[in-house]
Amino acid sequence: MNHRVVITGIGLCTPVGREVAAVWDNLLAGRSGIGPITLFAANSLPVRIGGEVKNFHADAVANAFPGVRDEPDRKVWLGLDAALQAIQDAGLDENGLGAAQVHVGVSLEYLAFEQVVSVLQAVRPGEALGARLLGGWDRGALQTPLDRLAELVGDRFGCAGGRFTNCSACAAGAQAIGEAFRRIRAGAVDRALAGATDSALNPLGLGGFSLLHILSTENDAPQTACRPFDASRQGTVLSEGAAFLVLESLDAARARAARVYAEVLGYGSSLDAYRVSDPEPTGRGAVLSMRRALADAGLSAEAVDCVNAHGTGTPKNDAVETLAIKTVLGQRARLIPVHSVKSMTGHMIATSGAFEAAVAALTLMDRNVPPTINLAHPDPHCDLDYVTEGCRAFAGETVLSNSFGFGGQNASLVLRRC
Amino acid sequence: MAARVVITGVGLVTPLGLDPGEILRRIEARETAAVPPTGFDPSPFACRLCAPVPDFQPQRFVPEPKLLRLMNRDAQLAVAAARLAVADAGLVVERDYAPEAIGLFGATGLAGLSLGDVAPLLRASAGSDGRFDPERFGTAGLKAISPLLSFKVLSNMPICFVSICERLQGPNAIYSPWEGHGAQAIEAGWCAVRNGEARCALVGGCDAKTHELAFVSLEQRGLFESWKHERQGLIPGEGAAFLVLEPESAAAARGAKAYARLVAGRFGTVAQGEDRLGVCSRLLGALGRITPAAVVSAAEGEASSRHSEAEALRRAGLEVPASIEPKPQLGTLFAAAAAVQVGVAALLAGRRAAGERVLANCFGHGSGQAAFLLETP
Repeated sequence: MNHRVVITGIGLCTPVGREVAAVWDNLLAGRSGIGPITLFAANSLPVRIGGEVKNFHADAVANAFPGVRDEPDRKVWLGLDAALQAIQDAGLDENGLGAAQVHVGVSLEYLAFEQVVSVLQAVRPGEALGARLLGGWDRGALQTPLDRLAELVGDRFGCAGGRFTNCSACAAGAQAIGEAFRRIRAGAVDRALAGATDSALNPLGLGGFSLLHILSTENDAPQTACRPFDASRQGTVLSEGAAFLVLESLDAARARAARVYAEVLGYGSSLDAYRVSDPEPTGRGAVLSMRRALADAGLSAEAVDCVNAHGTGTPKNDAVETLAIKTVLGQRARLIPVHSVKSMTGHMIATSGAFEAAVAALTLMDRNVPPTINLAHPDPHCDLDYVTEGCRAFAGETVLSNSFGFGGQNASLVLRRC
Repeated sequence: MAARVVITGVGLVTPLGLDPGEILRRIEARETAAVPPTGFDPSPFACRLCAPVPDFQPQRFVPEPKLLRLMNRDAQLAVAAARLAVADAGLVVERDYAPEAIGLFGATGLAGLSLGDVAPLLRASAGSDGRFDPERFGTAGLKAISPLLSFKVLSNMPICFVSICERLQGPNAIYSPWEGHGAQAIEAGWCAVRNGEARCALVGGCDAKTHELAFVSLEQRGLFESWKHERQGLIPGEGAAFLVLEPESAAAARGAKAYARLVAGRFGTVAQGEDRLGVCSRLLGALGRITPAAVVSAAEGEASSRHSEAEALRRAGLEVPASIEPKPQLGTLFAAAAAVQVGVAALLAGRRAAGERVLANCFGHGSGQAAFLLETP
């Protein structure tokens, strides 16, 4: 028997704010979270803007997780913050999570890059580099494995149902939620904490991504740099953040009278099998992903009332995604709102799919669709209703949320009002 | 009704070679692939051995030089193992299954970034005081590396390269970074085929831990401790393994041989401070009163690891007439290890009588532990 799966908790730590209420207010108001990089000296980089989490206070996280005070990996801190929020928002504690699963999406692992530079320069001729690397610094480790967050959260809350770390790049957050959804639906577990965290806003991350020429270089106008579906779009903006959801079976949620944001109805994933850097030009992979999610939900295209687009603001993605949405939804595509919150948040990479699932849930609960900002000059290839006039009242029942990743991994989720 | 799933292809790229039969023979003969590292001085480390894949020629499997240049070592190993698995299964994509009907579920390890990949960037980013200089990083460092480095850093890339090379477009997921995550990939692919989400799936993993950065990380995580106390322990290796999973009826319909039927998988999580032995014995116990004809042991080189696994089997009430230990011979392959364990189990099942069972233990580092039970069709 399939169990219905609902979202009962949301935790957000993003460039447009922390905690659900603040984030939602900012999204509906169309406020951009993009600005100059302040986390490190980015003066000499071709890209000097990003979506940073501002005013992040580590104290609350450190109090809840005393063992992480020396944790050097920023995405772990952001993730712990969002995970804690989600658990509290759901009204849960250790007692409710003992049998739960943890599903975490991440993309890049942490490397103590700046320390390695110093160590490498300090090595004397004939000296073993390994000895220097082992003793080269006094804080943290050379690398933080990708499962660090899943283990910290799992240990803190005693989650014994399994700990999954999904590294499917920009699709990781959506896949983490989709995989948790599938397991709860199948009855393997009653409850899961699922989401993602990412922060590539460091020299190696921002420098590396800037070399791929997918980032906007409009350093003097950060708040308008990310322009999904606009004819003048130059690229996306790299950002950081974390988003976690508490998913549980409807029965489990009802048993404890939990507030329900929305129901997760379907999940689909696919591969482009094309190139590592470019989407397949006909949108084949995106089409497969959306169709699978709808089939999994048992819905037709006519049932989709809104699309929360991947909408990165790169020239290639937005046109291909638009084509794919039209292929899947047919005439319905032109009748419903399609929006991209990345216009305000930038691209949180692994986190984006989890964050956008949270946005979809809030869209359904609050009956408002956040706008796509910075879209002033429509691209003729992007000819859908992108919600450009500001937030829009929404009476629909179903949202389709897309996440398409580097390497050609795609994931789509279907959420319904509950 | 859920489909019965069989393993029809085994692709192994290991320190003991690429030929499954030969790998099995050499494991059984207790031949070791361990050698001293050649790319760096191992003297600072408690473990001074590694298990590389000798004479690996990635161009055999990736004929396009442009694509090959984008791949790190992990990706090259993964693509080779996937290709071997597909060939071993006699699978022809499009003819047997549509590309979108074939799922891909894999595991990758700690970023496959070697010091050699980033050394030019690191050196060019140092200021006059020898410390990291953000100004020089932007003006000189970034110019010292290939723009394509990002494709070697992202943890999903090895599996994405498999999808590109084999043209697979089906459901997918990629997990990281330990053996337990490799077991999760196998389970995910198994479920996808069993439930009809995919008509066929490649499941597996890849890892390369034979370089200096990996040794530093492993030492810092305390994974070489047993070398200090027992003068034995895990030997970091490199390799990849992929398995082809299909419904038994579909495999039979296309005349494919089936090595083994996947009949059970059990999973456990070792929480902080919890006894790993207890978790492993519980998950083995959850398999029920079975008598496997053979066990693919998860033991690494040290005696304590071997004793611990034997105790878990004893507590679970499992009698073990025969066992085989790949890890001391192949090295520990982390994210690739679960697929190697199950692949070896499939090879063993393939030469046993119908109905006999082989247990593959996937007990490794990290919290996730698993065991799979295979049956000769």
